[in-house]
Amino acid sequence: MADVALSRSSAITSRQSFLNPRRRRLITSVVLAAICILWVYPLVWMVSASFKSNSEIFAGGGLIPENPTFENFVRAWHEANIGAYFFNTLFVTVGSVLITTISAALMGYALGRRPFPGRAALFGLMLFTLFIPQGYTIIPVFELLSNLGLGQSLWGLMLATCGHSIVIFTLLFAGYFSQMPKELEEASRMDGVGPVKTFWYVMLPLSKPIIVTVVVMQTLQAWNDFLLPLVITLANPALRTLSVGIYSFRGEHFIDWGGMTAGSTITIVPVIILFLFLQRYFIDGLAGAVKG
Amino acid sequence: MSATELHISHAPAATRQGLAARIWKSRIDYLFLVPGLLIFGAFIVWPLIASEYYSLLTWTGFGAAKKFVGLQNYRELLQDEFFLNAFKRSFLFTLATVPLQMFISLVFAILLNNKLLKLSTLFRTMIFLPVVTPVAVIAIVIALMLSPFNGPINGLLLDAGLFERAVDFLGSPQLVLWTLAGVFVWKWTGVTLIYWLAALQTVPDELYEAAKLDGVRTWQVTVFVVLPIIAPFAVVIGLISAIAALNVFPLIQSTTQGGPFFASEVMEVFIFRIAFAPSGGMVPQLGYASAAGVLFGLAVMILTIFQIVAVRRARRKDPANG
Amino acid sequence: MSIRRIDGLSRRAFLASSSAFALAALAGRSLAQEVKNIDPSLAEKIPIADPSLDLPPADGPFRWLDSGGQKGVFYRQFFPKYAEARGIEVVYDGLPWNEIATVLPLGIRNGSAPDAFNLPNGMPPAVAVAEGWVQPLDELIPDFEAWKAGFPAGSFVEGVNVIEGKTYGLPYTSERRCSSLLLFNRKAMELTEFDPGPDSPLTWDQFRKAAAQITENSGGSMFGLIMGGNQGNRWSANLVQLANRAGAACASSVAGCLTGVDYRTGEIVIDSDEFVQAMELLLAIRDDGSMFPGIMSLNAPQARAFVEQGGAGMILQGPWNVPIWEANNPDFDFGFTATPAPEGKDGKTIVDALPSAANTMYVNAAAKNPAYAADVFHYMGTLEGQVAWGNVVGPSDPPIFPKAAEEAEMSERSKAVIALQEKQVRVSPVVYARSPGFTKVAQLYEEPTPNLANVVQGLYTGQLSGVKENLSKLKGAMNAALDKAIADANAEGANVRREDLVYSDWDPSVDYAS
Repeated sequence: MADVALSRSSAITSRQSFLNPRRRRLITSVVLAAICILWVYPLVWMVSASFKSNSEIFAGGGLIPENPTFENFVRAWHEANIGAYFFNTLFVTVGSVLITTISAALMGYALGRRPFPGRAALFGLMLFTLFIPQGYTIIPVFELLSNLGLGQSLWGLMLATCGHSIVIFTLLFAGYFSQMPKELEEASRMDGVGPVKTFWYVMLPLSKPIIVTVVVMQTLQAWNDFLLPLVITLANPALRTLSVGIYSFRGEHFIDWGGMTAGSTITIVPVIILFLFLQRYFIDGLAGAVKG
Repeated sequence: MSATELHISHAPAATRQGLAARIWKSRIDYLFLVPGLLIFGAFIVWPLIASEYYSLLTWTGFGAAKKFVGLQNYRELLQDEFFLNAFKRSFLFTLATVPLQMFISLVFAILLNNKLLKLSTLFRTMIFLPVVTPVAVIAIVIALMLSPFNGPINGLLLDAGLFERAVDFLGSPQLVLWTLAGVFVWKWTGVTLIYWLAALQTVPDELYEAAKLDGVRTWQVTVFVVLPIIAPFAVVIGLISAIAALNVFPLIQSTTQGGPFFASEVMEVFIFRIAFAPSGGMVPQLGYASAAGVLFGLAVMILTIFQIVAVRRARRKDPANG
Repeated sequence: MSIRRIDGLSRRAFLASSSAFALAALAGRSLAQEVKNIDPSLAEKIPIADPSLDLPPADGPFRWLDSGGQKGVFYRQFFPKYAEARGIEVVYDGLPWNEIATVLPLGIRNGSAPDAFNLPNGMPPAVAVAEGWVQPLDELIPDFEAWKAGFPAGSFVEGVNVIEGKTYGLPYTSERRCSSLLLFNRKAMELTEFDPGPDSPLTWDQFRKAAAQITENSGGSMFGLIMGGNQGNRWSANLVQLANRAGAACASSVAGCLTGVDYRTGEIVIDSDEFVQAMELLLAIRDDGSMFPGIMSLNAPQARAFVEQGGAGMILQGPWNVPIWEANNPDFDFGFTATPAPEGKDGKTIVDALPSAANTMYVNAAAKNPAYAADVFHYMGTLEGQVAWGNVVGPSDPPIFPKAAEEAEMSERSKAVIALQEKQVRVSPVVYARSPGFTKVAQLYEEPTPNLANVVQGLYTGQLSGVKENLSKLKGAMNAALDKAIADANAEGANVRREDLVYSDWDPSVDYAS
């Protein structure tokens, strides 16, 4: 947008004098800053609302609370049980990331480099199921977990969460491994190292970029997951994840907007801090998904 | 998705051996497959098969007898206007969000790609924040922001004199789906932005330099040099975004639950309602919901296959990005 | 392109930060132990009785789920005391109806449902029994027959809480309630030319005018009328009760198959003039701009809060608003009157059984602590428990023992609400009592989609147009579904006929006595 405006004005002004690169960057920065502030404004507004009383929230006032109060936070922390939900979500996310990454790497390695019988068929099957919507699988998954006795446990949720994107991740690993030079394994074989050790000590460390991609994508997936945690944990408050917990807090305290915004603020602050620290990995990881 | 590019090699030497011998020889490879196959089998292959079986039943899911009814569920679905509308809405939603999201994030990416722009990391972070915000929180935020009663956005619109009465963004059947599409784009643009930035990094710096020396303006470089180079990525990014947009359940369930009067009911909300959250005097109908899931899944698969073909074509044209 | 190298720091950084957060979360968990909001003044109104039976040690927490609201006010005081007296842990969940509709079936399916619960709104108990959700109380509650005999006549009804001779539900509150009272902010009403009260309800025209005057005379800071528009049952209740006041003699039944049935003829009357005009009244108020904006995104409790906060002047809602407002905001000056009626009409509000079907409690068939459920159920069916209930809950869910309603301490306003409801609400015939086979019909009935609540919502939002046309279409669908359910029930030996719904001797102005 800025570019269009700039190019138009450049027609009348001398580029050298007015639109030197530095000024151009300055204007771009100002425009972008305005857009980005608007972009995060809803979140900022939510944080501000969390310091307001319920009636002040709907009084149509500005960002700065008139009578700042911490009561909302006290209430939200006690009643919304956010600490426990945070732990549940973290447990499911970390567990599913570990399991998914290791399983996908192992399977991707076999698929990408090992000519075992049935490989083509397995590939075909995986491609066929590449993008199955969750709505298709949710009923059998729920029944399966219930029948296995995992229908109301975080372990069940964790395992099922692994299933969401395992195909994509396996294919990413397979693609990556298949491009590695053949000499790697031959050298190991010469050294008398078996395939398992080769995989663990040679191949896996080399696939770090894909590992980061898979970890990041699975983290985002597990963190934002909703349908599956909803059906598994909604009926059992002790197991709820953050998303389901905030969802049901809203369902039970629908008139307590101050409490809801305070609960939301408590929820996102650690996430944002975590994100700021690990930002580089998020960016590199996501970028890895399209580059391949 | 370079993985889809893999050439599946049939080892010709091996065909001379017996199959059993070859399998035995590869036993370690199968070991590698075990954990992945367990997850893949339990949470993808089994549900696919089971859904198709369930879709032939009438069944409430509470242990009461399952009754085999053949294709009756499918026949009823094809005449069920709620199903057809939800189906339509899912694809409408995708058609609305994907191009918008790709365009906005592309503009952001081009602006942020400037290495000399000091605050670009900060801007990128700000745009990414909604991505890491759980959808249930987003639902609360937008319920407040968009509230027709003294909500900040309506306050702005009314003060500006754009409307006489407050706009009920989430309660108006004409607006609700588009409002949610906007919120969806807001939430997920950060991810698409990262994809575009990755694509832009494939453009060699020398190209910009060369163009500048030739006296070409920045926007011209962008349109005529950069865009063609990153065009092949558009297909991959579009594919990922489209699939993401079909999974819009979290946002809709936590905001409108498909309302008002089903105006924002997309496929997964429909399936969830029939299978898990029946209203009024109804009991869950797992068979019916499964049949809906199967039809939806088939449609998505067909869509995916089309797009994969498109990806391959695009890639073939431009082997450098393979 | 090249991927930026990521060194060994990645894993360590990630693990370090995630474990730090895990620790923080764990610490938070212990801090987050429930803080009970005990209100001593309320709690002292609830005596805890001695155990009514030999209680085994509890298996995990005893869990109770109902639709909250004013019931939650009682149980949040009662259960902490009860838990202490019995030495167990109790988890109480008060969820809105649309949450129960999701949570409970899921919980039943994966084995995490609470020990005692309300059934989802609109689910016939016969279905819950047939699906194996609930267990009979006959063997569970001590001195069952004597306990049951303490309830007023009409409390236990086949098909309502008794199925095939076995008692499943605890009917501890009365349905003699008017769930669409007109409640209003007195300051708002002062902006109008009207002064309604318990004995002087508004006519439909006055109602519409009052809504417009509040909106106009408040200078846009307040709207005339509000409802919880995303909650389907509010739409059907308000429409049916406005039509009731015009003379339509039918209830919005908990079992969907009997909604809108006028027992004098056995016909569904939801497209009668009374219904069409009631719907047109709501549409007129919408078109006047007197309806609160955004009601389609509000549930009933949110709508109630806006009245108290001064965003809306009037609301059509139940008596439960009275104690809630009195407790939340003692300074809030509000009045109430009956549902508005057309000029010259004064129809009765019809309910389809004496016990409140929505509030009826059931014991999970797979309950881990059935004995504790039985103990609490027993208590709620004694005069002591009923008076305690009346003390806290007031007129919103009146105790089913008339004596308890008299003895309980309530505000003057609450007593007046009960008096109005006694005068205004009448009980229709209960078809299951005369034709027990109808239990089967209720169970097999497949409610059409859209149902009455959906159609009213659709008409209000403008997605459906043509009031009479759509109500007639729905009536056709409901008739077809009812006839099909009757045929299916007969195929299973129910032996019922459509004519069983006809009670030609019924006078809607008095309770039907069989």
